[in-house]
Amino acid sequence: MKVSPLEPGVYRVTHGTDRGLVYVASSGTQWWAFWNGGVYEGTHGSSPAAGLPRRKTGSAHEPIASPMPATVLKILVTQGDQIRKGDTLVVVEAMKMELPLRAPADGTVTAVRCREGELVQPEVVLVEVESA
Amino acid sequence: MVTKVLIANRGEVAVRIARACRELGVTSVAVYSEADAGARHVRAADEAVCIGPAPSRDSYLSSAALIDAARQTGADAVHPGYGFLAENHAFAAECVAAGLIFVGPPPEVIRQMGSKIEARRAMAAAGVPVVPGEVPSDQSDAGVRRAIDAIGYPALVKASAGGGGKGMRLVRTAAEAAAAIASARREATAAFGDGALYVERLIEQPHHVEVQIMGDHHGGVVHLFERECSVQRRHQKVIEESPSPVVTPDLRRRITSAALSGARAVNYRNAGTMEFLVDADAAATDAPFYFLEMNTRLQVEHPVTEAVAGVDLVRAQLLIAAGGRLPWTQDELLQRGHAIEARVYAEDPAHDFLPQAGAVRLYREPQAPGVRVDSGVAEGDTIGVHYDPLMAKVIAHAETRDLARARLAAALRDFPILGVRTNIPFLLRVLEHPRFVAGTIDTGFLDRDEGPIHQPDSSIPALVSAAVDAHFAGGGERAGTSGAPVATGLSSAWDPWTRLRDRRIP
Repeated sequence: MKVSPLEPGVYRVTHGTDRGLVYVASSGTQWWAFWNGGVYEGTHGSSPAAGLPRRKTGSAHEPIASPMPATVLKILVTQGDQIRKGDTLVVVEAMKMELPLRAPADGTVTAVRCREGELVQPEVVLVEVESA
Repeated sequence: MVTKVLIANRGEVAVRIARACRELGVTSVAVYSEADAGARHVRAADEAVCIGPAPSRDSYLSSAALIDAARQTGADAVHPGYGFLAENHAFAAECVAAGLIFVGPPPEVIRQMGSKIEARRAMAAAGVPVVPGEVPSDQSDAGVRRAIDAIGYPALVKASAGGGGKGMRLVRTAAEAAAAIASARREATAAFGDGALYVERLIEQPHHVEVQIMGDHHGGVVHLFERECSVQRRHQKVIEESPSPVVTPDLRRRITSAALSGARAVNYRNAGTMEFLVDADAAATDAPFYFLEMNTRLQVEHPVTEAVAGVDLVRAQLLIAAGGRLPWTQDELLQRGHAIEARVYAEDPAHDFLPQAGAVRLYREPQAPGVRVDSGVAEGDTIGVHYDPLMAKVIAHAETRDLARARLAAALRDFPILGVRTNIPFLLRVLEHPRFVAGTIDTGFLDRDEGPIHQPDSSIPALVSAAVDAHFAGGGERAGTSGAPVATGLSSAWDPWTRLRDRRIP
């Protein structure tokens, strides 16, 4: 595998007979890459297979967060509620649309960490859920 | 005589209009909200005026602010672009009342074609086929039922006061009619306070085919052929092309002739598009087509017509608004080759196409023969949450449809955008789908299960890992092409989110 930097963020990579132009941008350890129409992202220093969205799924505690800056419109659960997969937990509002944030699995609400009317940033946990 | 045009819009269409102004030697004035102060369209124009805070209703939708900006800068014309106030007849009338030339049709035509009922009536009177339908005068359940029987099955029962799919029911057989009528009426009453219903024939798996029209103020009207816009996701166009792969020469003759009749009947001026539903399943030479609606403005997908007919539609708009004649006769207009356009949106196909916001850290437009990119975004810009997430349009023009398709796919593979997720991977899946290759995609295809579903890449190719490792080995933080660091955040002085605290976004 041979990598030749052409200019900041642009790399020509050769692997046997495969050649490609890969574009990379980063902020801290967070990186994004583009190759051949596909976009990849990850955190440098973690394993190659961890190129998944930052909100990890499959762990016991499921953080519910808004994907973009938004206003919390309605909180539909309280601590202790039993929820089913697909239940709407919080509705946020952004870009003139209401976006329901749903439970990724059956479980229990362990904490509500936002208020109605509050402006929230992406990736900030709004509701914590423990999977059944 | 038009010497200065105020562009009442933003993003890629504002850049487009500014370009046409520059080529004509006309001064252009851009308007921007506080969130758009550093936007590409502001730099593209000769002058610029701030018209208000970020929310559209306080800026791009504020006719007072726009007309004020026109007065302030001494503009003599206003080009509304598309969206925002482009089809708002009151805004057009206010421009005219303020002594400004509105680059578009007369306010009364905008009003008339903006009313679905009036537009249908005018087109039907002009002999243009309309979707078979009826507003039953007998609004009882029995009366509506009789209307459905007369229209034929399958039928759509729709709320007269309605929109957005509410109060609409599909009726496939007579057995379903009674329940559908009752249900539609309940929903219509609940949503709009009005249970009046009308009935329309359902066109199954229709193709959306539209005809570009241009009229001048001297009685001249021409058509610039058709565009195929059936690749839609939830009624939003994603890929458009010209010519339409399902339009035979005979159908083309009939549909463009109908479009011209319709345009003449309402004395159409400037640019407009007549939209039709085409029932491609009917025998090829008999494929019925039906008027759907008319858009009294320039359309997003106008570049595919420009490529295939070899014209500049925005230039023509400005010349006509200034009192000139159509730059072409019907005989001079021909379709040559094939053009396809893909709309690049800041949307995440892996998460239900959620609009994305964030800093555009890397953005390199593809450049190749036969490839055109219309964009309102530049590297270093921040995509905000206030406006439509359209970032750019990529148009490929080539000798044949398949060559254009391959050219467009190659261009998208060569269009790196990092920092916000885009629908580029989804666009590539559509372009390479057998149904697209065959040209048989109907308007409902992408929403049905069989449509291409984005499969998020869970594994990272070795090529990419190697480049990433080299990137961090070389220091990591990406520098902009000027050598200065890329802007990574909004300064709080104009951060709309600090301003919007405790305010609702309508």
